[in-house]
Amino acid sequence: MSFKDTLESGKFVVTAEVGPPKGTDISVMKHDMELLKGKLDAVNVTDNQSAVMRICSLAVCKLVLEHGLEPILQMTCRDRNRIALQSDLLGASVLGIRNVLCMTGDHVSAGDHKSARPVYDIESVQLLQVVDSLNNGKDMSGNDLKGATSFFQGAVVTPESNPLEPQLMKFEKKVKAGANFFQTQAIYNIEKFKEFMAFARKFPVKVMAGLVVLKSAGMANFLNNFVPGIKVPQELIDEMKAAGKEKALDTGLNITARHIRQLKEEKICDGVHIMAIGMEDKVPVILERAGLL
Amino acid sequence: MIITKKKDRSKLLKTLEGYNSFYLIGCSECASLCGTGNEEALKEMAEDLKAQGKTVTGMIVPKTGCQTLGTKVELKKDKDALDKTDAIVVMSCGAGTQSAVEIYPDKAVYPSNDTLFLGNMTRFQMFDERCSLCGECVIDKTGGICPVTNCPKGLLNGPCGGTKDGNCEVSDEIKCAWVRIYERQKKLGELDKMKEILPPKDWSAKQGPHKLYTRADAAEGDKKGKDKK
Repeated sequence: MSFKDTLESGKFVVTAEVGPPKGTDISVMKHDMELLKGKLDAVNVTDNQSAVMRICSLAVCKLVLEHGLEPILQMTCRDRNRIALQSDLLGASVLGIRNVLCMTGDHVSAGDHKSARPVYDIESVQLLQVVDSLNNGKDMSGNDLKGATSFFQGAVVTPESNPLEPQLMKFEKKVKAGANFFQTQAIYNIEKFKEFMAFARKFPVKVMAGLVVLKSAGMANFLNNFVPGIKVPQELIDEMKAAGKEKALDTGLNITARHIRQLKEEKICDGVHIMAIGMEDKVPVILERAGLL
Repeated sequence: MIITKKKDRSKLLKTLEGYNSFYLIGCSECASLCGTGNEEALKEMAEDLKAQGKTVTGMIVPKTGCQTLGTKVELKKDKDALDKTDAIVVMSCGAGTQSAVEIYPDKAVYPSNDTLFLGNMTRFQMFDERCSLCGECVIDKTGGICPVTNCPKGLLNGPCGGTKDGNCEVSDEIKCAWVRIYERQKKLGELDKMKEILPPKDWSAKQGPHKLYTRADAAEGDKKGKDKK
């Protein structure tokens, strides 16, 4: 069953990420894809994440398809103008890619080509409208397409953003612009996430909670101090500390698994999106501990 | 006003190495307020050139350097000094520099400044960019605060996920434009405006080189220009 059909059927879905490497050696990525095969509903392919130049998302999505997994094409507006975005979307469509996650994209100042000229010809809300338009057989200028796309389109939201209200207003705009599903920025506080879901449930969209695996207490502090929109509660930091260096990663995997279990059992959201950040090979362990394998 | 910054002086002097005499042109408007083209800046430049063994044949701070016709009239008064010079150094913005190029087609003309942005002077010689001359103003929809300029991504529909406690992901020195817009719209009781999806910008309005003729007798010229809207 496709990712779209699974999500719409009401089944709790699980996605993870494949981060394209910098360079043409794709052996590690291939190994990860083999490990993840049959265990996920779909896999996101990041688009030059953190503005660090790597293999393009589109090419890796095709590899993901060839490895028997369903890709979600992440598309940011940082590196392409409206012509390039639409052209890549048509290209993705003919390659059999059916899911697209529309994002604005981290600023080039975060990445490894800081003197690059950022594009942002359009942004996430408008990109969702563009996908909607391509699905309806028209390009952004209103020209007819010879063959429409049929994308299932998603967007992102940051439930822990501060202040929250403008973020929620943007969420609403994304729904209006055609988003069918959302994957959130990493959340760690399930009780607070429930409050966000109480808001999100007012809209006809599916929401997948974003989960980033903690590797150490230090990483948790780093996320709190430097990554916008992520808040790791003190009790989780304490839990990581108490585990000690040896068992830190194992504890991090347990926390993620525990959160998945709770989100699923209490039917808080429609699925989870696991961001393992370089530890994609640990995703099966998490799923096993969460009782999903 | 147009904000300018002095080019690195040693690099500039190296560029000017091949000439023996110079005439300096400043500007009494923006470049004076920036301290890059006022009398003091010109005198300092003259000293630096003299220290290199160069001659300064004269200098002037015209009223408005980018007003080509008026500047031409002012420069006429200093014809002899200008005729004698090998090169002209313009100490204003890129527009003022090109006025001199137009007035003196046979002389070498060099800029002494880098032209940065259209800025507001918030305090003496402190400048902030508020408008990026996009050609299609949207601040009627955004509480009078320009997201095209104040958001490094130029977002039109709300904050990105990078906003952190009201600041921008690019720098803690920048307040998130959309948090500012949100706070202002809220104060004005106009938060509903933030719910409207703003369409993609028509960047053709920004596409230069621009020409705009508003004189009644220049209507013919206007048709030939780029700004037809």
